[in-house]
This record gives sequence, structure tokens and C-alpha cells, in this order.
Amino acid sequence: MDLLKAAPKEQKRDLGAAINGLKQQWEEGLKARQVELEDAKKRLAALATGWDPTLPPPVPAQGALHPLNRLMDRLVDVFRPLGFHVEEGPEVETEAHNFDGLNIPEDHPAKASSDTFYLAAHPELLLRTHTSPVQVRTLLRVAPELATRGGIRFLAPGRVYRKDEIDPTHSPMFHQVEGMLVGRGIGMQHLKGTLEYALRALFGPHTEIRLRPSYFPFVEPGCEVDVSCPLCAAKGCRVCKGSGWVEILGAGLIHPNVLAYAGIDPAEWSGWAFGMGVERMAMMLSQTPDLRLFFENDQRFLKVMGGLD
Amino acid sequence: MLLERQALAQEIPAAAGLETRELCELFAALGFPVDGVARREGTEVLDVDITANRGDAMSHRGLAREVAAKLRQPLTPIPALPTPEGPAVVEVRLDSPACPIYSTAVLELGSGATPQQVQAFLLALEATPKRLPAVDASNELLHRYGHPTHAFDADRIQGAVSIRWAKAGETLVTLDGVTRTLTSQDLVIADAGGAIALAGVMGGDGTKVTESTRRVLLESAWFDPKTVRATARRHSLHTDASHRFGRGADPAMARVARDLLVGRLQAWCGAKLLGAWTVGGLPPVGAPVTLTESLLSRIAGEPMPLPDAAEALRRLGCEVAVEGDRLVAQAPRWRHDLAIPEDLAEEVLRLKGYEGISSVLPPLEGPPEPLSAAYLQRQRLSRRLAHLGFHQTVTYGFISPEMDAAFVDPANPAEGRTLANPLGQEYSVMRGSLLPSLRAAAEQNLRQGGREVRLFELAPTHASGPQGPVERFMLGVVWGGTLGGDDYLSPARGVREADLSGIARTLGWSGTPTVRVLGEGLFGFELPVADLPQAGDRIIPSFRPFSRFPAVERDLSLLVDLACSHEVLHRAMAAALPAECLQDLRCVDVFRHKSLPEGRQAWLMRMRFQADRTLVGDEVDGWVAAALAAAESLGARLRA
Repeated sequence: MDLLKAAPKEQKRDLGAAINGLKQQWEEGLKARQVELEDAKKRLAALATGWDPTLPPPVPAQGALHPLNRLMDRLVDVFRPLGFHVEEGPEVETEAHNFDGLNIPEDHPAKASSDTFYLAAHPELLLRTHTSPVQVRTLLRVAPELATRGGIRFLAPGRVYRKDEIDPTHSPMFHQVEGMLVGRGIGMQHLKGTLEYALRALFGPHTEIRLRPSYFPFVEPGCEVDVSCPLCAAKGCRVCKGSGWVEILGAGLIHPNVLAYAGIDPAEWSGWAFGMGVERMAMMLSQTPDLRLFFENDQRFLKVMGGLD
Repeated sequence: MLLERQALAQEIPAAAGLETRELCELFAALGFPVDGVARREGTEVLDVDITANRGDAMSHRGLAREVAAKLRQPLTPIPALPTPEGPAVVEVRLDSPACPIYSTAVLELGSGATPQQVQAFLLALEATPKRLPAVDASNELLHRYGHPTHAFDADRIQGAVSIRWAKAGETLVTLDGVTRTLTSQDLVIADAGGAIALAGVMGGDGTKVTESTRRVLLESAWFDPKTVRATARRHSLHTDASHRFGRGADPAMARVARDLLVGRLQAWCGAKLLGAWTVGGLPPVGAPVTLTESLLSRIAGEPMPLPDAAEALRRLGCEVAVEGDRLVAQAPRWRHDLAIPEDLAEEVLRLKGYEGISSVLPPLEGPPEPLSAAYLQRQRLSRRLAHLGFHQTVTYGFISPEMDAAFVDPANPAEGRTLANPLGQEYSVMRGSLLPSLRAAAEQNLRQGGREVRLFELAPTHASGPQGPVERFMLGVVWGGTLGGDDYLSPARGVREADLSGIARTLGWSGTPTVRVLGEGLFGFELPVADLPQAGDRIIPSFRPFSRFPAVERDLSLLVDLACSHEVLHRAMAAALPAECLQDLRCVDVFRHKSLPEGRQAWLMRMRFQADRTLVGDEVDGWVAAALAAAESLGARLRA
């Protein structure tokens, strides 16, 4: 302003305008900076109370079902739409239920104490060596009402015991799922039809199944059932040993002696039964190298192999 | 069973042209899966799996019969020249019905050895040639024709030979050098000096053929399968012979195998026949079996004409007559497994091929049954616990008596639950509690570096009872280690007993569960599954009205005795409050500090009231005062 006073008159006008311009410029700058500072302050405040969505959030603890139970549950799910329910029985069984009722001869090697665990205080009691005694118990129970109900169909999942040393492929305790159907006029075609449906539901719609003759005392005819290898789509791999087929279960038509033992007339009634090893299937499907992992219960194994649903 | 391909082709020439893969598939389709193929002694050897009911298939001839039947191709006739029989050289007596026929011969051995190709055949089958013609020939015949035979050193036999039951306590040193103490259920070959062989199982050491043997007595007999199985099991002596006799050999082969053996010894070492004779005769054949067309068609799932079925059974060696709607079949002597109509139906299907069976879903017979409440309850419990962060375990049902005793009521003694023949002491007791196994699994997880371990198991436990162990399904839960600290909002803290109690509550357990300390910072509880709530019959429970008026909360900070139980204080305070308005009463904070009077702790008791009207301050004040008075009656006082 002093400069303006001292300035020559003819320049005063221009100079004044210039000074005003500068002043305006300065004031605008100040205002802008103030807004900027205000914004920064607001941003900081927002950040301080705000949430960084990229920070790891608290996640509710997640457990897992055991893979063997999951597989058994899945099998039950697969058979439910066909009208199968679940039957169960005790792990400590009588010789009669475990062997005699299943047409297993008196001197069968499986009865030996080298193969089967017996109770010390009760020599007639043993740890069931398969889930088949559930068949015997169920047939005995339903025999009187079989005609009214028209037949029976059920699954029997459960734990079984055999005197095997613990190693990567053996365990003295393992799981089986047994299936049984009794009706009128039941033949091999019904066994094949049911298993084809079930194994396709389990392994996919393009799965093929193959029945091969085999022998189990409680069925006649008996068979082993193979599925087209679910891991290589039957192209041939390590699991199916290049054959494209994997053995999955044993089955057959119920032996007339088994029906007769339960008081069911084999001339009127017939049926089929199958039994599969749960661990064997789980190991095959998951490529788990060592059976013992299923009984070690390491949470890292359970989390990955079991899951929730 | 090991099968050498060239020897198979000698029995069934049609097999020679098959690729190995084709042969394996053929065997699998017949019910004899091939476990492996190896090359030994310049030939291919198949490891064929033979089911226990098919003793007749445990030889090259036996499997050749199967291939011949399937392919409708002829078998090579057995090249046996009948040995002329004459009077007995040594007296042989059959003193037990378990040996109905005994064909024998005495030969004087000449010089000569087992032919190279026979040695190679035995080596290919992983059998060791002894280079003694009598022994090797017997062994070769067993593998080729499935009929076990034996050669004794005739000069070491004293007096007459008898096939009799052993005398209890009688001893015999078998070929493996083991001294066997026999029972009266063991069938033996004996001479005047005692037992010289375990019939159908193993020869005796004292009469074995050696390099110095000059004369041999041959044995080609048939022994009762059950007797042989029992003896083999009793003495844990499972031999090639016991496997075959035990599953049923062909009695008609007794004479044939003797003839073959004589022929080999004559050819290989110029042996001179001193006499051949047979004692006894063939046992009676089994009863013929009748199969109706309707049964066959029911099993096969399609109409099966009887003439076709008869033709299939004839290919297997059966004599068959078709009579109207049924066929009657007499099984050949080598088949001991064709006893009922279903057995015949299986054979017909087997030869036809299981691949031809159609695929039909069975019609529903009646209304399906629901899943049982107990099963569904376990399914729900395991899902609930998995969602609460717990991992389901599967552990063995048997544990060591020490582990068991630590958790089981003395009223449940281990004796009634102990196995007679456990794998070891650590697996000898059917457990009375799940906690020992869960503790072991939890500790293992923590040792392996797990920060927190949450496990559960749903499995039966056992209680000793007069009739045997009684099964009860239990739920075991263990939790240990450090909780939280994995994110910026959840502080880390050790797992506490109360955490376990909370889990039991959330599963619907009404009381306070017994939480066991299983280790440092490791806790567990166990509950009978049947005592946990089951899903009711109703899909949705009946409606219970609730108030829409505001609730009032009041806190009382109380100094209470350290010995005071929350349950007692709670009960007393609740009794003083109007039940219809009291919605909740609980301790929400526990404070223990040295600044508090000695022997005291501070509890913050929170009351929540609600009614079908707006509550007035004065009436709530009155209730709070009453609750305080009730607390004071138990020695509590208001904290300043």
C-alpha cells in the first residue's frame, strides 16, 4: 500500500489492480488450504474410528466331522430315497449272532482266537467281526411281522473288530456299512440295480459297476462288486492298478440258512445283502497313505479330511 | 495259489492262445481274481485268489476245469496208466472212518534224479525241489492235480500200518522237526512203534525219505476235511496238503495220484514196483440237488430255460437230469460246495457270466421306516459340536486297564470288560469312559504344536454286568490350550473349566456337568447321550407368549464368602423375587483381589424383570431390596 502511495500517478491504477489481484489470490489460497486441512483432519478422524476390511477378521471356530463318519453319513443319505433306514447293534456280541446265524460253519477259521477277540469273563461273547450280526438281530425282530410290512430294507453302519496288528493297512478296529433288503421275488438283478444307483450317486452318473462271482458263507450266489475307477475315470491309474476297476464291496443273495435261522421262510422270502469297508473306501477316495491316520485324530488331518457338510 | 501258464496249457490247450490279460479277466469272471503276475524260471506265474469253498480249484487241473467249462473246450486226459494192483506188501488197516480209502505202493528206488523241467516248475511255484524224486514227484502232483500224496521210507516203518485216531498225549516229530503232542481227535498214520504222520497235514521226521532211502511206501488217500482242518488248526500247521484235504479233495483221485506217482518214479529213477494195492473204497457221494426253473429264474432275474442250465452244469462235471420244471444234479466228486439249489443256480449264472445280469431297482415292499431318534440325535450332536469348533474323533474301543481305572467308577470293575486275547495289555479292556482316549488324542495334538485343541467323540462305553458288558452311548468332549489371540479383536486366554460347562449347557444339559481336569489347561466332560435332549415329536414346539413391554435391568454388587456357591445364592435370591416378572438372574462378573476383605469375593448379580405391563421404579426397588435381604441372610453384603 505504501508502494502504491509512492508510485507515480499514471501507474497507480495498474499497480492497484495488481495488488488487489495478489490479495485475492492469497485469500483464496488460504481458504483452500484451510479446507484441505479440515478434510485431512476429518479423514484421520474417520480412519481412527473406522474399519480396515482387509484386516483378518475374527472367524468363529470351525470344527469337523470325522471323515469316516462323514462317509457313512453319505452312504445313509444315498440309500434314504430308496426307503432304507438305519439299524444298529452292540459291539460286544454273541457267537450266535456273529457266526451261527450267518451260516458260518462251526469250525470256520474266523472263529479262532487268533482272528476274533473274546471276552475273558464271558467266553461266549466276542467283539463283532462284522456288522452282519445286525442283520441277524433285525431279521429275528421283524420275522413275525414281515408279512404285514411286506419286507424290510436297512443299512447297518458301525464299528467292528478283528485281531489284526496295527500297521499302515491294518487296524484291529474299523468300520463297515452293511445293507440288506428282504422282499418277495428278489434276485440278482435287484442287487445290481440298487448298487448301480447307489454307486452312481456316490461316484458320479458315469460310473459303471461290475459283479464278479465270489464266496461269503452268508450269501448264495455271492459276488464282489467293482466300480469303474473314480479317480482316473477308468483310464487306468495307480489306484486301479491300470485296470480301470476298483473293488468296492462284497454282496450276494441272502443264504436261505440265514433267513431260516431268523424264522423267515426262504421259499417265500428272498433278499440281498452287501457289506463294505469304510476305511478302505475312504483311503481309496482320499489317497490317504496310512490307515493309522484315521485313528490318530490329529486336528490338521480332521480339519482337511472331515469338514462339516 | 500260484499257477504256471505252461502247466495250465498242458491241462487245457485252449488256454495257450490267451493273452495274460485275457486269462486274468477270464479267471476274475469265474470268481478267481488274479492278484499278480510274475516271471520266474522263464515262465509266467499267476497268483490266483481261490475262495475257501473251492478246494477243487487249488491246482492247475482244477483251474483248467474251470477254463474248459467256460470256454467249452476239452481238457487233456490225465496221463495215468493204471498200476496193476496185487496183494499187500505191508499190512495197512483203516481204523477210522475219517480215512475211507488208502491207495499205496511199495517201490525200490533206482538211480536218477528229478527232471530239470520238474525242478523248474517247482521253483516257479516258489516250492523248493528236494532233488529226491519221491518227494519232488509228490509235490509236483499236488500242484498239478491238487491231490496231496506222501512217500515214507519203507525200511523205517515197523510192522503194520494203521490209519487211526491218535492216543491222547502220543507224540510225533513232524517233518519240520517240531515235536507234536497229539489229541484223540488227531488222525494219524501209525506203525507198530506209534504215529508216523499227521494224516493229510504233514509227514513224520522218523520215516521221511532221504538220500539213503532205498524203498518207499507211497500214500495216496482221502481224509475227512473237517478232521484235517481241526488238526491243522490245533497244531497251527497249515500246509499245502492240509489246505487241499481241509477244503475237500477228490477221493477218486486217490488211486489216480498213486498211479501217477508210481509212473513218475519208474520213469525218473527206474524204480521197481514191489506191489500196489488199495485199502477201503470211495466214500458215498453227496445227495443229488434239485433246482426248479422258478428258483433259477428268480435268482437270475430273467427266464432261464432248464436245458441250458443242465448243459452248463454238465460242463462242470455234474450228472444232470431234467424232469419237467426241475433239474436234478449230482455234483462231481471234486465239488464239495454244491449242496443246495442256490449253489446250482450260482454255477449256472457264473458260467453264463455275471455281466449279463440285468439292473432293476427293487419295488418298495411297504412304507419306509424313519431314522431312529437315537441315530438322529447323534447326527445332530456331532454337527452341532463341529459347528462349535470341535473335531470328531474315532478312537479304539479298548484301552489299557490303567487308563481305564483313572476315569471309571469302582462299581464298574474292568474284569467283566477284559478281553481274553487282546493285542496287548494296552488294548485289553473295553473302555468304561471315552475320556482316557480323548485325553491321549488331545495331548498328542498339543505336543504336535496345536495351540488349541477341541475334540469330541460319540461312541459306546461298557459297564460290567452279570450277563456281560452293557453298552452305553456316551458323548465325550475335551478342550484345552489357548483360546483367541488369533485376530485383533479376540484377546488370548487359557481355556477354563467354565468353557466346557458352557458347551454342555448349549447342548441342552440341564445340570452342571462334572468337568474333569485332564492336564494343564486341558479339561473334559462325558455325558450319556440318552440323557441329552432329543428332538421332540412336534416339528415346532407350542407357542409361548412373550412380553412386548420394556424390560428393566438392575445390578447388585455383592461381597460374598469365598465358600459361597453361586447356585445357593441364586436360589435364595430368586426365591425372594416374583417368578412371573423375573426373566433372568445371574452373576455376570467375579472379582477376586487382595484389596477385598479377606475370605471375600465380589459378585455382580444382574436381575432382569419384564411383565405384561410397564414396570414401576418403586416396585422394582422393592424387589431388589428383597433380593439383597435374601443374599444378606447368606452372609453377603452390598459392596461399598
